[in-house]
Amino acid sequence: MEEKYSGQALAAGGVLGPVDVPSARLTRYVVLLCFTKFLKAVGLFESYDLLKVVHLVQFIFVVKLGSAFFMVLFQKPFSSGKVVTKRQWIKIFKHAIVGCIISLLWFFGLTLCGPLRTLLLFEHSDVVVLSLLSVLFTSSGGGPAKTRGAAFFIIAVICLLLFDNDDLMAKIAEHPEGHHDSALTHVLYTVIAFLGVADHKGGVLLLVLALCCKVGFHMASRKLSVDVGGAKRLQALSHLVSVLLLCPWVIVLSLTTESKVESWSSLIMPFITVIFFVVILDFYVESICSVKMEASKCARYGSFLIFISALLFGNFWTHPITDQLRAMNKPPHHESTEHVLSGGVVVSAVFFILSANILSSPSRKGQKGTLIGYSPEGTPLYNFMGDAIQQSSQSLPRFIKESLKQILEEYDSRQIFYFLCLNLAFTFVELFYGVWTNSLGLISDGFHMLFDCSALVMGLFAALMTRWKATRIFSYGYGRVEILSGFINGLFLMVIAFFVFMESVARLVDPPDIDTNMLTPVSVGGLIVNLVGICAFSHAHSHGASRGGCHSHDHSHSHHGHGHGHSHGHSHSHSDHGHSHGHSHGSSGGGMNTNMRGVFLHVLADTLGSVGVIVSTIFIQQFGWLIADPLCSLFIATLIFLSVIPLLKDACQVLLLRIPPEQEKDLHAALEKIQKIDGVISYRDPHFWCHSASVVAGTIHVQVVSDVMEQRIVQQVTAILKDAGVNNLTVQVEKEAYFQHMSGLSTGFQDVLAMTQQLESMKYYKDGTYIM
Amino acid sequence: MLPLSVKDDEYKPPRLNLLRKASGWFRSILADRTSRNLFFFLCLNLSFAFVELLYGIWSNSLGLISDSFHMFFDCTALLAGLAASVISKWRSNDAFSYGYVRAEVLAGFVNGLFLIFTAFFIFSEGVERALEPPDVHHERLLPVSILGFIVNLIGIFVFQHGGHGHSHGSGHEHSHSLFNGGLSHGHSHRGHGHSHEHKHGHSHDHSHSHGHSHGQDYCHDDHSLEGMTGSSKQILQGVFLHIVADTLGSIGVIISAILMQNYGLMIADPICSMLIALLIGVSIVPLLKESIGILMQRTPPSLENALPQCYQRVQQLQGVYSLHDPHFWTLCTDVYIGTLKLLVAPDADGRWILSQTHNIFTQAGVRQLYVQIDVAAM
Repeated sequence: MEEKYSGQALAAGGVLGPVDVPSARLTRYVVLLCFTKFLKAVGLFESYDLLKVVHLVQFIFVVKLGSAFFMVLFQKPFSSGKVVTKRQWIKIFKHAIVGCIISLLWFFGLTLCGPLRTLLLFEHSDVVVLSLLSVLFTSSGGGPAKTRGAAFFIIAVICLLLFDNDDLMAKIAEHPEGHHDSALTHVLYTVIAFLGVADHKGGVLLLVLALCCKVGFHMASRKLSVDVGGAKRLQALSHLVSVLLLCPWVIVLSLTTESKVESWSSLIMPFITVIFFVVILDFYVESICSVKMEASKCARYGSFLIFISALLFGNFWTHPITDQLRAMNKPPHHESTEHVLSGGVVVSAVFFILSANILSSPSRKGQKGTLIGYSPEGTPLYNFMGDAIQQSSQSLPRFIKESLKQILEEYDSRQIFYFLCLNLAFTFVELFYGVWTNSLGLISDGFHMLFDCSALVMGLFAALMTRWKATRIFSYGYGRVEILSGFINGLFLMVIAFFVFMESVARLVDPPDIDTNMLTPVSVGGLIVNLVGICAFSHAHSHGASRGGCHSHDHSHSHHGHGHGHSHGHSHSHSDHGHSHGHSHGSSGGGMNTNMRGVFLHVLADTLGSVGVIVSTIFIQQFGWLIADPLCSLFIATLIFLSVIPLLKDACQVLLLRIPPEQEKDLHAALEKIQKIDGVISYRDPHFWCHSASVVAGTIHVQVVSDVMEQRIVQQVTAILKDAGVNNLTVQVEKEAYFQHMSGLSTGFQDVLAMTQQLESMKYYKDGTYIM
Repeated sequence: MLPLSVKDDEYKPPRLNLLRKASGWFRSILADRTSRNLFFFLCLNLSFAFVELLYGIWSNSLGLISDSFHMFFDCTALLAGLAASVISKWRSNDAFSYGYVRAEVLAGFVNGLFLIFTAFFIFSEGVERALEPPDVHHERLLPVSILGFIVNLIGIFVFQHGGHGHSHGSGHEHSHSLFNGGLSHGHSHRGHGHSHEHKHGHSHDHSHSHGHSHGQDYCHDDHSLEGMTGSSKQILQGVFLHIVADTLGSIGVIISAILMQNYGLMIADPICSMLIALLIGVSIVPLLKESIGILMQRTPPSLENALPQCYQRVQQLQGVYSLHDPHFWTLCTDVYIGTLKLLVAPDADGRWILSQTHNIFTQAGVRQLYVQIDVAAM
């Protein structure tokens, strides 16, 4: 093994770059591994069928016997290698005993909870379990990612324990006549019953126990395998010893109990498949793969494939087609109801796959180095820094905590968040109540509420995102997100209004019978929730309105030109925002921005909807006017429509880069003033647009006479436009010579462009010289 | 020196009566190929929907009526595209200093959103139906869906044709670069002082440069206010995707109807619809991503790599100390606008730096550039 490792390191060290075996060479092994795992799944399903006929101990005996026979045949442990001493024989004896006990537990678990669940629980490689245990029982678990993986694992086991309701069927299938085949089974069964868990759940616990034992056993037998001379030799000897161990028990068993097997000869084929697929092939391929690949990679691929194939077989094993495909010697004696696929199993399988993926990924620190070259002595040099820094993943709880803190920091996101929580709580109560009382109306209403919550979530997310810092890519910052979010909210409302309108027209033509009993309490509850929301948001609304007032007031002042002091006065006029407002980044929160308006309108629409439902319910109950319902919804749809239009219009204007309407006048005045600055000939291309609630960007070209200080002009223009509310300004000052140059440039523009396109490579070459 | 001011009261579109306005719109719709295609397809779609509605009312079949309403809803996408292609050609005015070119991006965005919405609903309905397959009356399903399929196929061909024009790329890009070239050309002229005729000269220059410098098969009749865009990518992409989605939908309906009729596979219908919803959702994502990027003033992805080099080159110019606040963004398809501020030495030649900077960024593909030169304190 040592030689192989060093050889691999040499081969991998040939190239610069990450120290990793090239994946092309691994594909073979991955395919082999996957195939083996698939066959193992087949073998386990087969052995479950066998175990229905054959007694457990007998089964293990036959399997051990067969595998011992083949492995002795392959390995020749007696004729090759060094002589095994007496102490080692004792150790092998112990090894065999423990191995027998573990396989007993394993196959007993198999009989209890079926092959699918056994595969899910037991087929975790040592790496996964070890890192799971290290997370659970040591302080340095390996970071948040590992903790997440462990959490997934535990969730998966819990899913199997609690949400997998197949024990009823399992019980019927397992103990049809109420007695057990052997004393051992009986003991285990009574223990499980004593613990107060159902059969299949007992099996799950048993399998988890067996899994832990297996890993410990593998760890412990590592030294022994080195002593004896390789894991394969140890395995062969151990199988042999365990056959000898089990022999008397089997003889006693077969003497005392009558066998259910009609003919042993028909079972030879299944036994051989089981022996080969489950024990021998798996053992050899895994040992090869763990040498050729990293153990972690091996574990990842293997467990993924075995879970997937287990799920597949769980679905199709009892299918008639599979019965036809399988050997004819067994009649399909089992009904398809036992150990079927259930939702809990699927969920837990997904979680198992995820956790296996996370847990088996190697801890990054110091694992993946980058070969950067060779030292003068010829030893390879590795760089471990970059990867280790890059790969640190964030802890989930911390992430949640931080984002919560961010949410609660600002007024509007806090508002949205509280209302979202309220809404979600109401929804879940409704859903649970609906599931409990099995009322479809409540459930569908709950899902509708959930969909409504998506608007709130989007608003919340936008409110968070707005505060992100500007990056190189998004150079103006993310302020636009709130406008986009408001726009999307408005659009969705329009669509919803449209559909409500259509449906109510259809209902107007032929009014359906409505069950009015259930509606009232639910809609009243929804109304109350939404009213709370409206109160919360309309507070913000009035706030925002007053702010808008301040705005226009200030701007009317600004004509008189007391430039710099102005922005201060502005921010003082609504004291709760403090200074930040005056400066370019500003706090976009607090006021009624587009995002908040969208959310507000959404809540308003919901409220109107519940009011409409209540009103129409009353009308229908009191007067029997079935027409009231469609009329109400028509009215509401129109209301929503009308209320959304201003929002959409505003958002569109911002998105179309309109001059902010509330500052239009000031800007015009400012432009006139620029015209009057000493030395300015003219200006052109004045573009001003609202990037977000707080950022007004602008660009302008100013043409000046040639004998004037450019800097003075820039400062004056900037000051004037800053008064008008533009806080992200670029002024380009142009003199006469510039135009001559530019006109030359633009008449020759096509030529320049063509030249650059032609000489692309030349340009890059030149660039290279420019840069470095 | 001429008195210079920008008063554009006289350039505001004069108030016309509705008929004149409508005819003007009509003409501008027919002027451009994209909008003409859109318009004809919209007419086809609308007439099909009306026929369906009338037939549904006549034969009193609720399914047909609801399907026709669905068609009307679909038409809104086309209508949005059409409106955007008309609006995007409006000339820029005081309030909208960049013109209305962004309408096309917005229309693409809205179309994408609607499609996502539709896909979501189809998907949820598919899930619902997969859980308990309803009885579908499939006797009348087949003819209607085949008819819808034919209409949509026509749409696809029409727009593929149109999209052909826009997808042999070079022509399209050319027209844009010409537009930009024309723009800077116009500016350079106006610098010499007839900026009284600001807006007017602007549009004139456009049509002029269009005429003289490209002269290829692009069939504009010069409307003096276009020159903004020819076929715009976002609208076309959005509308095209919408039609493809519809076509996929009718194919799905046809297949599932056949499967149900011949084999009694009731599960085929929800599975088909779920697959289609997924397809729509996946195909719409790039469009949405792109248009959101543009609307958020993202740095154009095509410039992302070139810009750092440009910065380097600008900073290597003599007298430039540093470069800050660079903002580059996309106005509409392929029109990039940039602003940046340079800090220069007190004794540097501002004009030279300015023109060099313009040169550098023009080569990278930025056509409207605003450079503010700040002189460092002594």
